[in-house]
Parts: sequence; C-alpha cells; structure tokens
Amino acid sequence: MSDRLGTSFFSPRRAGIIALSTVTQLVRMKVFYFLAPIALLFVGLQFFDVFWYEGPEASQPQQELMMHKNLCLGTMMLFSSLFAIVSTALLIPGDIEDRTLYTILCKPVPRLDYLVGKLLGVISVIFVAMLVMDILMVVTLHYRTQAVSAELGEYLGAIGWGEEEVRQGQAEVASHGPSLILQYGVWAHFFKASIIAAVALLISTFSTSTLFTIASSVMIWIIGAIQSLAREGLFTKGEYGVEPGMVDRILGTIISLLFPDFQLFESVSDGAARAMEIGMFDMLHLGGLTFFYIAIYTVLSWFVFSDKEF
Amino acid sequence: MSEVPAVQVNRLVKDFKGSFRGGGIRAVDEVSLSIASGEVYGLIGPNGSGKSTTMKAVLGLVRPTAGSCAIFGRDSSKVDSRMEVGFLPENPYFYKHLSAAETVSFYGKLCGMRGAVLKARVDEMLELVGLEEARDRRLRGFSKGMLQRIGLAQALVQDPRLVVLDEPTAGVDPMGSRQIRDLILDLKGRGITVFLCSHLLEQVQEICDRVGIIHRGKMVNEGNLEELTSMHDRTEIVLQDAPPELLEQIRKLVDQSNKGELVSEGHPRSSLESLFLKETIEAESKQEAVSTKQS
Repeated sequence: MSDRLGTSFFSPRRAGIIALSTVTQLVRMKVFYFLAPIALLFVGLQFFDVFWYEGPEASQPQQELMMHKNLCLGTMMLFSSLFAIVSTALLIPGDIEDRTLYTILCKPVPRLDYLVGKLLGVISVIFVAMLVMDILMVVTLHYRTQAVSAELGEYLGAIGWGEEEVRQGQAEVASHGPSLILQYGVWAHFFKASIIAAVALLISTFSTSTLFTIASSVMIWIIGAIQSLAREGLFTKGEYGVEPGMVDRILGTIISLLFPDFQLFESVSDGAARAMEIGMFDMLHLGGLTFFYIAIYTVLSWFVFSDKEF
Repeated sequence: MSEVPAVQVNRLVKDFKGSFRGGGIRAVDEVSLSIASGEVYGLIGPNGSGKSTTMKAVLGLVRPTAGSCAIFGRDSSKVDSRMEVGFLPENPYFYKHLSAAETVSFYGKLCGMRGAVLKARVDEMLELVGLEEARDRRLRGFSKGMLQRIGLAQALVQDPRLVVLDEPTAGVDPMGSRQIRDLILDLKGRGITVFLCSHLLEQVQEICDRVGIIHRGKMVNEGNLEELTSMHDRTEIVLQDAPPELLEQIRKLVDQSNKGELVSEGHPRSSLESLFLKETIEAESKQEAVSTKQS
C-alpha cells in the first residue's frame, strides 16, 4: 500500500510529521499575534529618550543603544520563555482530553516520536518568533545607531573636535549597533526557551492539569535563574570561613543536576547587550549544554510517558 | 481465512489502583476471546462492564495486569502490531484546526504514506465516508455524525486488516447510523476484521457474526449470534397475504395435533429505525420532486 515507516525505536520522519502538525496547530491558534505588540514596542523605543541621557554631551551616548538592546533582549526572553511554557503545557494534556492521542498512538507511532515531534514543533515556532523579533530589533537598532552617531558627530564637530576624534567617537557608538555578538544574545534566549519547553514537556507527561504544569515550569525557570547563587552559597566558605556540610553539598549537587543553570544564558545575553567579546567557543559550549539539557529532559519524559495508560 | 486470529485475548486481567486507602477495582477479570480474520465481532455489556478497557488493552493503550493480547499474532503492547489496525474511539475528537482532507492525510503520513499514493487514498476515503464536499472545511464546524465519519476515514486510511470501533454510532442520527452500519458491512465484504463495542443491540445483531457479553469484567457468554439468539424450542412461520380462513385452519391443526402450542400470532413489525428512514427518504424525494418541478 505504501512505503511504510518502520516501527523502530525512533523515526525522525514521523517525529517531523508530528512537529509540522504542531506548528500548524500553533500557527492556526494565531499565536503569532503576540508579535504585533512587540513590534510596536520595538518601534516605540526609537522615540524614547531615557532621563539620564541629556544629549550627545553626555559622556556615554552608547548607553542609549545598550538600553535599546537590553529592552529588546529582555522582551524576547520573557515572551519566548512564557510561550515555551504555555504552549507545551497545553499541547499534551489537550490531546489526552480530546482523545486525539488515542487515534495517534493507535497508529504505528512510538511514543518517543510523539514526544519529540511535539517538542520540535514548539521549538520551531519559538525559532520563527525569535527570528521575527530579531529582525525587528536589528532594523530598529540600526536606525537608532545612525541617529545617535549623527547627533554625536554634529555635537563633537561643534565643540571643535578633530575629524579623527569624531570618527573614533562614532566608531565607539557603531560598535553598540547590530553585530554578530548581539546575535549570540538572541541565540542564548532561544536556547533557554528550548530548555524551558523540554522542562514543560517533562512535567506535562505526569501532571494532571495544565495549571500545575505551567506553575511548576515557571518555578523551575525561577530556580534555574537563581541556582548559581544558591550553589555559590552552599559550596563556598561562608562569611566566617565555615566549610559547607555534607548535606549542603548533596543538596547543591542535586539542584545543579535537576535544574538547568540559566545564569549562563543570562550572562551571554548581558555580554551581548554590552557588546563585550563573546567567543565562538563559548557559544558552542552553550549550544552543547542546551542539547544536553533537552536530551536529558526528553529521555525522562519518554521514561514517564512510555508507561502511561490512557 | 488465515489461521492466525486477528485478535487473541488470553485470560486478560486489568486492575486499576484506587486511592491510598485502597479500593482498587478489577475492570477486566480473566477475559479470553478470539476473533478470526474477516469476522465481525461485537462486545456488548452495560456501562462499566469492562468493554472499553478490553479494547484499550488490545490496542496497547493500557497494560494488562495479567494475561496477554495479540493482533495477528503480534503482542499488542508492541508498536508494530498497530500497522494493521484502524481505531475509531467513542465520540472522537480530532485536531479542529485541520480540514477533513488534512486530517486523513495526517493519519496517513503517520502510517508512512506519502505523495500520490497518499493523495489518492485521502480522496478514496473521503468518498467512502461521503465527505468529499466537506474536504476543505475545518473540523471545528463538523457535526457529530461527520466527526464519526472522518474518524472512520482515518481509521481506514492505511488499509488495515483489523478495524476496532468503540460505539461507532454514538450520538449519530438514524440516517448516519445506517450509513455507518452499511460501511461496516462493506468492510466485512472486503474481508476486513471488525471488532466493535456498542450499546445498540439491534445494530450488533444486524451486523455481527459473533458476540461476547461482558458483565462486571467477566465474559458471561460468547458465541455465534445465530446460535445465541435462536430459540430452539420455537418455530416461526411468516406468511404473505394469508386469508383468515387459512389462519383458522392452521390454528385448528395445531389444536388437533396435541404436539405443540401456538404461543402468539400477529403482524410482524418493522423497526422504528426502518420506519424513520422510510419516512425521511420519502419526504426528501418529495421535496426534490417539488424543487425540480419549480425549477
């Protein structure tokens, strides 16, 4: 009848079919509508002067660009993370409630294919949303950089600075404009949202309600953001030079194994906003870490889901 | 018919755990059944008797506490056993954002179909269930009967050898119910094995070769429908246009013989379903005739 897919352990093609269906589902749920207010926000930033910036005579005009980048990256982080949690938390319980899952699992579909397909679908939509937000950020930042650079050039020329000095000042401003480093910041948020989606997927495999999945995922998101601080407190000598006890060490190890350390991703994003040097190796490391976390959470999800009865 | 049964359930037991205080229940208790290839088998029983749990165990959606289930000789807990199965759950819901054609295509792709073969199969299935005109409409606006028919189309998309139907006519009007019944008979004609659960005993009687009656998780009776339902100590004679004199003679004959007893006599009744269908079809024909005249 057809070139049937095997029923092996995992079929990337079948997972792709489920991923594509998930993308279609989310797109037809009109999730991309949330990009409209974000576009307005990014464009609105063009006309927003912060109170501490009193014109080009200020010592660091590039701070205006940093603020622009921080706000854009922060918005991207918030929306991508929330989107990852809510969309993933809705998909699997929704399929169980509607019994759509029955008809899918009664076809020759291994449960791992279903889980990976759902996760890939959510990650793909996050990717497209991040891409759109990234393009918006780059375009608005480009015009903002040109405006600040021109304003600075006029001011420095008026107070008698030489051409070379003006060029140097403008180069400094330009270094805070769109760049590859800034893209690393966007990637860091994309990686983080993908991990959060994998966490939500794991919780939704054993959770009995969407609300519980969302609340637990948000909690893990918060723990992930502050866990490096907790580890620092548990692993290092205290104020009075007291060594951490065995319980503290075990607790710290468990936390670091169970919860992803989102501080790493935040550091890259902060560095990107400040136009600091971020090496390609650092990004590869971050990508590898993301893959590791996603793989671990997906395997755990599969472990729970493979024994689930409907 | 092949030697390997389409469905083989051996001493199936399924317990569901209760709360912490105990109170677990045994939903299925040592149920065994065998469905031969090409047969139409009906599993009937009251609500909560274990029909759906047995069906889910056959489909690998629940794990047996004890015993085993196999589909065409393959352990039903293994994914490859589902290559040959199409399933229509009770009150099926599908992705409402997909159209009818997209839905059937999605399930076909999951079974490894693609390209021209898939496209042709989608067209064939939509024609089979009478939804060609609704092919591009999203399921959001579908009636219960239409959803049931799209459910059948997805169940049949990969040309399975076994079709499992859980209450296939639940919530469907008599016309739709008749269409689904005809579809099941058509599947039977094509040699496809059908395993169905239904509350509509009349319908089960019309289409099934064999039935199993399940009560409180136990199989209480099972066998060929003819054998189970025929009353061996009674004989039925149906006469067409018999005059009253002939009937009187028959009564006298029975009285004189002293070997039997006339239990009842009267006019055979058509079912309410048949009456409903006759009336609605006649009304539709009249309406069509009036429309044709007017145009």
